[in-house]
Amino acid sequence: MGEIARKKYKPLQVNPFKLSQPMGATLAFLGVDRCMPLMHGGQGCTSFTKVFFTRHFCEPIAIQTSAVTDAIAVLDGGDYSIVESVKNITKKISPSLIGLHTTGMPETKGDDVCGVAAKIDFPLVTVNTPDYEGGLESGWALTCKALIEQLVNPAQETDDNKLVLLPHVSLQPIEVEKIKEFIEGFGFNVWALPDLSRSLDGHLGEKQAALSSGGISVEEIRALSDAGLVISVGDSMQTCGNVLRKKNPEMRHHHFSHLHGLEAADSLAELLLAETGFSGPPIPVARWRQRLQDAMLDSHFSLGQSRFLVAAEPDQIAGICQSLYDAGGRVTLAISTVDSPQLKKIKAEKILVGDLEDAEQQVEDYDVIVGNFHCEAIAHRHHKGLVLRGFPNWEQVGNPLKNDILYEGGAYFLFECANAATAARDEGRRHPEE
Amino acid sequence: MVNKPKIKELLDESSCTHNQSRKVACNAPTPGATTGGCAFEGAQISLFPYADAAHLVHGPMTCLGSSWETRATGTSYPRRDLTQMGFTTDININDVVFSGEEKVAASIDYIMEHYKPEAIFVYATCVTAMIGDDIDLICKQAAEKHKVPMVPVHAPGFVGSKNLGSRLGGEAALSHLIGTREPEETTPFDINLIGEYNVTGDMWQYSPLLEELGIRILSTLSGDGRIAQICTAHRAKLNVIVCAKSLVSLTRKMEERYGIPSISLSFYGRRDTSDGLRAIAKALGNDDLIAKTEQLIAREEAAIAVKLKPYQAFFQGKKAVLNTGGNKTWSIASALQDLGIEVVATAVKKATEDDRAKARQTLGEKGVLMMNPGVEQAKIIDETGADLLLAGGRSLYTAIKKGIAFADVNQEKKKCYGGYEGLLNLAEDLKNALQNPVFKNVLRRAPWEK
Ligand code: SF4
Repeated sequence: MGEIARKKYKPLQVNPFKLSQPMGATLAFLGVDRCMPLMHGGQGCTSFTKVFFTRHFCEPIAIQTSAVTDAIAVLDGGDYSIVESVKNITKKISPSLIGLHTTGMPETKGDDVCGVAAKIDFPLVTVNTPDYEGGLESGWALTCKALIEQLVNPAQETDDNKLVLLPHVSLQPIEVEKIKEFIEGFGFNVWALPDLSRSLDGHLGEKQAALSSGGISVEEIRALSDAGLVISVGDSMQTCGNVLRKKNPEMRHHHFSHLHGLEAADSLAELLLAETGFSGPPIPVARWRQRLQDAMLDSHFSLGQSRFLVAAEPDQIAGICQSLYDAGGRVTLAISTVDSPQLKKIKAEKILVGDLEDAEQQVEDYDVIVGNFHCEAIAHRHHKGLVLRGFPNWEQVGNPLKNDILYEGGAYFLFECANAATAARDEGRRHPEE
Repeated sequence: MVNKPKIKELLDESSCTHNQSRKVACNAPTPGATTGGCAFEGAQISLFPYADAAHLVHGPMTCLGSSWETRATGTSYPRRDLTQMGFTTDININDVVFSGEEKVAASIDYIMEHYKPEAIFVYATCVTAMIGDDIDLICKQAAEKHKVPMVPVHAPGFVGSKNLGSRLGGEAALSHLIGTREPEETTPFDINLIGEYNVTGDMWQYSPLLEELGIRILSTLSGDGRIAQICTAHRAKLNVIVCAKSLVSLTRKMEERYGIPSISLSFYGRRDTSDGLRAIAKALGNDDLIAKTEQLIAREEAAIAVKLKPYQAFFQGKKAVLNTGGNKTWSIASALQDLGIEVVATAVKKATEDDRAKARQTLGEKGVLMMNPGVEQAKIIDETGADLLLAGGRSLYTAIKKGIAFADVNQEKKKCYGGYEGLLNLAEDLKNALQNPVFKNVLRRAPWEK
């Protein structure tokens, strides 16, 4: 654990990789089946968000805007545009839920979205996500919390075979699926909230973009509270676990800061063994654990010679740094989009809340970058290795299938990083003077 | 607060066809049924390509966080291309409550110190316009302090569409840059290119031809543009609007103020490029130039015809359905025809009256103008036996279901289709699409579904 450098005063962000709360909210709603995210604000926020995720996932993205315009922005409390939106959305399609979330503009005006929503006769979940607070991670977590608070029915009984998974925003669809499979291997029935693995994992659907298709259904959400166990992953999601427990105090809640690396995967397996009373893990789990051990050894030589920059959302940084650290990679600099209690635990020499200009100013400190596609320019200018992770990645296809977690994903991730580090050293030899 | 009368005046553009047909203003979005970008995005697009200027977005993270480094606007600027950088005040709750003005001023100082741009555009966005941060005053003070132009851009998203935003961007350039500097020399054939953003280097496909004809691009708004040049734009002999309706108000005002006439054209495909060159020569009104232009056109058309020959044989008898919006409804159609592809239908749902008329003209009487393309296109593919669907990603499934080739025309452009040479890129891409077996293979039935 390194020193956390609270930012020296800088009035602006230069080359930001931080993303906004409304965008996180949108993504969370997309993990609910037949949900239409409705962003309350100017139409630009929605359009940017739609294009952003469409390009990242290479999937059509369902989203609508309340399209607040000048006159409405100044005169009205937002009622009109929300009511009109719901009317117009339901005219053409029949969502099972509308996910109403705000942006900075209506929050600045002081629109009472919850009040308006209460008067609308349609299943609606409302969440306040001003974009002048928090970031992608908190937008996702707040939405997840709202889904629980506003939809889940209270219960007293528990079903010990039923488990709720609460994944943080940076887990890609395949990662959510892999966690579910891992747990299912121990005999549980798993529900993820939100569940991008069923909605944005790249399936060819007929009703493209009209609505999200796949994801956890509204009925399934309502019925989550009889689960015996809830597992939250990522410190941004810990509160959601607690909130879910309020619906049924009999529920047991376990929290993981992340599921990257040998130790984290081990503790999940340990928990599941204890909960089930099994004497050993399912065969594939054991097999992948051996492969990860092997991968750590195979990659340690390259990783051990390399210094890394990791730029991501806090929960993702925590995991990636642990994975690299375990196999000898030194994270000399970690740059987080926003502040988070998670930062204290990160295995990096220096941790900074900042932007990619900060990253570039300290370019002497690292050889390989793990970050989103905006890092490509830095990697290119300074001949650094690059492993593309996080939002957005518009340069490559296959983002929803990138798996870095548990035994299996951990093995692939280490190999990819080690290979990138080796390639960067070769490149360095070709450009020695730079 | 936003300057209301100015926005109203900009909405009331007399050269806009929407006005004549007395339709609702171009910028009235429908809540819950809208997909377009906001005015801020439009302004940014129209000014972004100035690679020697910094673009400071005063607002929360949504506005810039998801929109920087999205457009591949080529530049020949030798220093660090500021277009590929993002600057934002990323305001927080404190700024909302107590104003973010100090942050803007400090950000300008920071940018000047670290990046030394030739100008800074400062954009108001929804929240900062609402809280009333006075970017005009800050810009004025900063311009005096740093001795470079500071341009406030008043196009917060809530005032309207992308289109309106482009106008507001043009307006900002007009009031703060154009006419503030004199060119070192002028020529009788000085033109401004307006509304060409050099996305994927489109402009470079035809700018060498203009140069060869002795026509000088005095300035651009804003493809491969420089701040020093746009400041001298008032000395041009002609404004050439390249496919951008949104900037007609700017050129109209430049005509009123500086007596610069304007023409509107496109450099998409062979015919458009030739017609465009002709129009410029004619507007500059020099007989020698006109003759020279005809020679150049003849030479270029002959050269491209040779290069296209193998493709034309391939495209012979192929039919395409086109589902896109705006001027693309006819400009792509005409490029397809240049390649020898028959365009059996084009979507006009999102097109202006003008564009619809042009589409009709391009496709001829037999061509179908689709008002509801989502529903119609499948039927038309069946009826006409079309081989190719050009549309946005959403329609991919239609193409696959029909087992025909698909090309995404809305995807962020990575390749340039402009000018004569661009036609070769388009031909190559479409040939690849038509030859690609994926559209037939991908929906193969699983063994357990047979
Ligand atoms: S609508 Fe307003 S807040 Fe949203 S992106 Fe546009 S300017 Fe920014």
